[in-house]
Amino acid sequence: MEMIKVENLKKNFGNVEVLKDISLTVEKGDVIAILGPSGSGKSTFLRSLIDLVDIDGGSIYIEGKALCENAVYPSAKEKRKILAKMGMVFQHFNLFPHKSVRDNLILAPKLEKRGSYEELCVMAKNMLKRVGLADKLSEMPNNLSGGQKQRVAIARALMCKPDILLFDEPTSALDPELTGEVLNVIRDLSKENMTMLIVTHEIGFAREAANKILFMDGGYVIGFGSPEEIIDNSDNERMKNFFAKVSH
Amino acid sequence: MSLQQWIPQMAVGCLLTLKLFFITIVFSMPLGLVLTFLYTSKNKAVSAIISFYILIMRGTPLLLQIFFVYFGLPYVPGIGKYLTINDRFTAGAVAFILNYAAYFAEIFRGGLLSVDVGQYEAAKVLGLTDMQTRTHIVLPQMFRISLPAISNEAIILIKDTALITAIGLSDLLKVTKTIVNKTTNISAFVVAAVFYLIMSYILTLVFKLLERKFSF
Repeated sequence: MEMIKVENLKKNFGNVEVLKDISLTVEKGDVIAILGPSGSGKSTFLRSLIDLVDIDGGSIYIEGKALCENAVYPSAKEKRKILAKMGMVFQHFNLFPHKSVRDNLILAPKLEKRGSYEELCVMAKNMLKRVGLADKLSEMPNNLSGGQKQRVAIARALMCKPDILLFDEPTSALDPELTGEVLNVIRDLSKENMTMLIVTHEIGFAREAANKILFMDGGYVIGFGSPEEIIDNSDNERMKNFFAKVSH
Repeated sequence: MSLQQWIPQMAVGCLLTLKLFFITIVFSMPLGLVLTFLYTSKNKAVSAIISFYILIMRGTPLLLQIFFVYFGLPYVPGIGKYLTINDRFTAGAVAFILNYAAYFAEIFRGGLLSVDVGQYEAAKVLGLTDMQTRTHIVLPQMFRISLPAISNEAIILIKDTALITAIGLSDLLKVTKTIVNKTTNISAFVVAAVFYLIMSYILTLVFKLLERKFSF
């Protein structure tokens, strides 16, 4: 089943073409690591899939429905409906600092009346258990470590029961010793058949946890295939250079 | 006249001071918030009008504004007779509210700018509407960030209330001045200073408590 289909996506920031002509199909259960040098458009591409960036050309379909067709978007209400089954985790976590971990988790489902307060609290507790933080339910975000914050952010995204999860450099803001705990959670999700797109610099993690690698450079997709094809056996000069430079 | 006689008179003046203070706070803060939202709206014309309003309110003396509301409004061509406020206190309070709303609008705008863009993005990907994002995510953080500046403004206001003397009302300072004239002795000024200090100190404590309560 096609979860995401992107056709000829283009994006400019002023006179700069950031994304030049991106087409991609994401199947159910795909775990796609998006790799490439900085400034290649990885994050912009990811953000365009969840409407944080307006695209200037092309189409995006989410589970068959058009989020954008030939750069024309539907109404805000319609977009919210199409994106309801999509979650995102950010580099800087973006937890709500004035709300406890519990309230961070239950806010969105509560506003959409997807259960009673008690039911949502039980659900929040279960989600936290999944990311190994069951004891942090009443904590304020600022009392957590970076790794814990990111795991809470993942639990918060899971509260909306997403079919697709996007990760924008989920470990880039973390101390090296804390990246493992976050990557483990993402790894567990991949085993549960969650469809995920992950912009990352962790080549080792990408090789082991992703079933496909999307390599971007200069606003183009340079390669799309299995980790072996892209990381180890590519004959493309740019990809070879990139993987030779980054240790993995 | 002895201290025992001054204090009750000064307390009555103090009540007027406090009444003006609370009425100004209660009305100017919500009005300031509305101004902030209009100012930051996408509509350029609305934003320009609010910007001009803030320029006038911050750019001219509050004392002048009090005079204008009480003495000047009846002479506005055409609509003057509808704008006339005969009650001195009401006229004074209107001037204070209009003036302080402009300052609060700028304080809130500063708070609004300090809310990280990531907060809006997180709210959006969780499916919150713009209105829900505003009430549940942005406003609480904006208030928390604005609290020290609001506290500052409130302490300035408690002393600014003395300007209402200019349209003939007997607030704490006016009463004190009358006592000083009668007794030909300036010690009543010292007592008035203590009154103001106590009020400012209580405000400081209240805002400290609020800051602690809303810390995150």
